[in-house]
Amino acid sequence: MANLSIPSIRERLFNTSKHEQSTQRNSNSTNPFAASSFKGNVLTADVFESSSKKNDSNINFTGKLKASALVGSISGIGERFHNMIESAKAFGNRMKDSIVNGWNKLNEVEISFAPAKEKAISMFNSVKETLGTSVTDLISSGVSVKSVSKMEDMAAARQLATDKIALWEAAEI
Amino acid sequence: MVDKRIVKDVTNIIEGLGINENPETISILEDVGTNSKIDAIREMTARALVKKNMHDSLKVVITNKGKGINDMSTVVAMSTINELLSLSDKSEAMKILEDTVNEHSDEEVRDNARSVKALMALS
Repeated sequence: MANLSIPSIRERLFNTSKHEQSTQRNSNSTNPFAASSFKGNVLTADVFESSSKKNDSNINFTGKLKASALVGSISGIGERFHNMIESAKAFGNRMKDSIVNGWNKLNEVEISFAPAKEKAISMFNSVKETLGTSVTDLISSGVSVKSVSKMEDMAAARQLATDKIALWEAAEI
Repeated sequence: MVDKRIVKDVTNIIEGLGINENPETISILEDVGTNSKIDAIREMTARALVKKNMHDSLKVVITNKGKGINDMSTVVAMSTINELLSLSDKSEAMKILEDTVNEHSDEEVRDNARSVKALMALS
């Protein structure tokens, strides 16, 4: 049985001189490549065959099995990479989904945080406060230069100025 | 101590009325602002009236005793004069000052108008 271990194959491929037989060029040679190949040297038939038989029971893992395992592992790498990429994609999608869900939940919480009863009470209170305050106080919630400069109702403008100045004067006393 | 929001609101109202082109804003500023007992309000009002640079608004701060350049508060008077000096077009103010110097019944008002007119002529 041929020894297909990697070291032996390597030795046979690169140290061919050990396994070659010098042959005389002879016109009676039936080898059609004898004249042109290997400079007259013809490789023996058993160049890839080990002359010494090895025990079959001793399985050499460095032989075909290893090559097969290597090839299998190489082909498996792609699959593993694919699986890794797929898992990364799945992870990304899960993250995205969780973020989107979280955002939606936040929005839901913001909308429906206060119970309806509390909302109704606060609304009632704000309306009550609004009705209870004077016109001056209502106006006091921020008067801008722009709004006054574009006022057309001069009676309202006069009232606004009078009320505000009166407030200031009252505070100075 | 007056609330800062009130001060801000009054400042904005006076400034807004000064920008508003409605002629009625002049009477609002005169009635409400220049008659205030708060110096700061009178000062802001006088400056707003000067910035309008209209005949009626300038007349308020030049010809009225106790208002604008004739205000009993030096700060208000000086601030009004400073605003008059800052006008890019002084022609209307000069005309009113000249009329005041020549025609006003109150001597103090005439003197003030003369002084301001001299200042504006030099500026």
